[in-house]
Amino acid sequence: MYAVETEQLTKYYGQNRGIADLSMSVLDGEVFGFIGPNGAGKTTTIRLLLGLIKPNAGAVKMFGKELPAAGGKFYRRVGYLPAEVNYYPEMSGRDLLEYSAGFYNISSFQWVEELVDRLQLDPDKKTRTYSHGNLKKLGIIQALMHKPLLLIMDEPGTGLDPLIRQELFKILEELNQRGTTIFFSTHVLEEVERICNRVAMIKDGRLIHIGPIEELPGRDIRVVILKVAGRQPSNVALERMGEAEELPSKPGYYRVLSRLPVNELVSYLSRFNLEYLRITDPSLEEVFFDLYEASPGGGDTPHV
Amino acid sequence: MFNGNISATEISLNRRGLLIWTLVIIIVILVYLGSFAFLEGAGLVEMIEGYPEAFTAGLGMTPEMFTDVNLYNGGLVLLYVLLLASIYSMMLAGGMVTRDVELGTIEFLYTRPVSRPVILVSKAFAFLVLVSLLWIAAYLASTVVGAFWVAPALFDIYTQFSAHLMGYLACLAAGGIAFALAPLFNRSQASTSLAIGLGFGFFLLNSLSVMYEQLEFLQYLSIHYYANLPGAAAGETFMTGMVVLPALFLGGVAVGAVLIKKKDFTA
Repeated sequence: MYAVETEQLTKYYGQNRGIADLSMSVLDGEVFGFIGPNGAGKTTTIRLLLGLIKPNAGAVKMFGKELPAAGGKFYRRVGYLPAEVNYYPEMSGRDLLEYSAGFYNISSFQWVEELVDRLQLDPDKKTRTYSHGNLKKLGIIQALMHKPLLLIMDEPGTGLDPLIRQELFKILEELNQRGTTIFFSTHVLEEVERICNRVAMIKDGRLIHIGPIEELPGRDIRVVILKVAGRQPSNVALERMGEAEELPSKPGYYRVLSRLPVNELVSYLSRFNLEYLRITDPSLEEVFFDLYEASPGGGDTPHV
Repeated sequence: MFNGNISATEISLNRRGLLIWTLVIIIVILVYLGSFAFLEGAGLVEMIEGYPEAFTAGLGMTPEMFTDVNLYNGGLVLLYVLLLASIYSMMLAGGMVTRDVELGTIEFLYTRPVSRPVILVSKAFAFLVLVSLLWIAAYLASTVVGAFWVAPALFDIYTQFSAHLMGYLACLAAGGIAFALAPLFNRSQASTSLAIGLGFGFFLLNSLSVMYEQLEFLQYLSIHYYANLPGAAAGETFMTGMVVLPALFLGGVAVGAVLIKKKDFTA
């Protein structure tokens, strides 16, 4: 059974494109990553899924049922964290959580207190005094407090410090093990790789890839930044590892996008007299670049 | 049909505004009704009779008002109380809708397990409670000042109740209009401007319709006409007003619920 299904979902804001012909499905119980650069249409898609805005064409189904135009009781099964968290400034964090709990008839606050504890939030302060990170924590707690069957989160890791982000993903993993379907958008590949079963990639409002995390394009790429001591290496020598370019801001430093297996890459790098070396995973931009390069017909044609 | 959680929160979020406006209205009653004893013998009747009738009528004044405390409070003091209270009512109702859009809390509220029309009805219920409290306070203030200080023997608490009731119904109607129009705006500033504009607009329409016979038709566009405060203070029952004003409130809330259901809301 699908927790979320969209069929040729299209949304325009006047003449401006939001998303176009977006068809995808999220299986019940999976963790689904929705990735794309800023302005790609992630938030528009999420707002359409939740019925906050209405599509110009296409349809959304939640748990097999077409989304009611004005929402209603189906939200009982859904938890939502927006990208920008906003609350009533005169309320304290606790007031807000109690207000939210009132919609779900939550009588025991044990789980809420556990979340407050694990995410290290002081709930007794007014929300107007909260930092961006604390507002995000409050948003996460209110999204999880009723243990929803479907959790929709827009950029959940943004604004959180690394330790809290780590804890958040641990909580999400636990919830998923208990059966919660998680749909979240991000532009951080690391977050996707950590917990997702499948991913969809969106660019300029169009879906360009959907599939298991193992098939994520560019996952096999290593970004190598290096500087060779003494005589500079030739482009030919570097390009045997992959696409290479000198960093414009750092003369003498080269960036290579390599698809060589790790052992082969390390063995090849050992031939150079290296002064500096850093090997990292690709950024989302690099993955997109790779995806576009690989697509038939070049830049404008989607991969799928 | 309504959610008590939302209503209670709206009441709590708007309690400070209610307190301020209630104090302002009590002060207006205290000053204007309190000054009746001094106005009565100050030759005001002769002075008002000296002005063109259309002019004084436009300001809601008749010579009789300065000799009868019930007409004075019900017809004149409450006219200005209604002006203020109707502005407050429209600001309150409009603010209840636009505030969430402006603050960005709309995404929180509209993803709770409650439909949008129920959210609006719940807010309308909170509005009803707050405006009721305002008018209860106004009636108590009038009674205390009128019956215990200014004219203990003459102040008729029953006709005054009718006049306050009509003022209250007129404020409900004003709120209904604001609930109907507020979904068209995304900023509190816009709904506040609308409230002030409409509040004075209703007052002016009523004044013009009284001042010029050719403009009499304008009275039908003003809540002041349907409230008929001088009539209520004189013990008359204006059935049209008693039907039209609540209908405007209910109709406005219904229109607002339809608009809010159709509207795309984004933070």
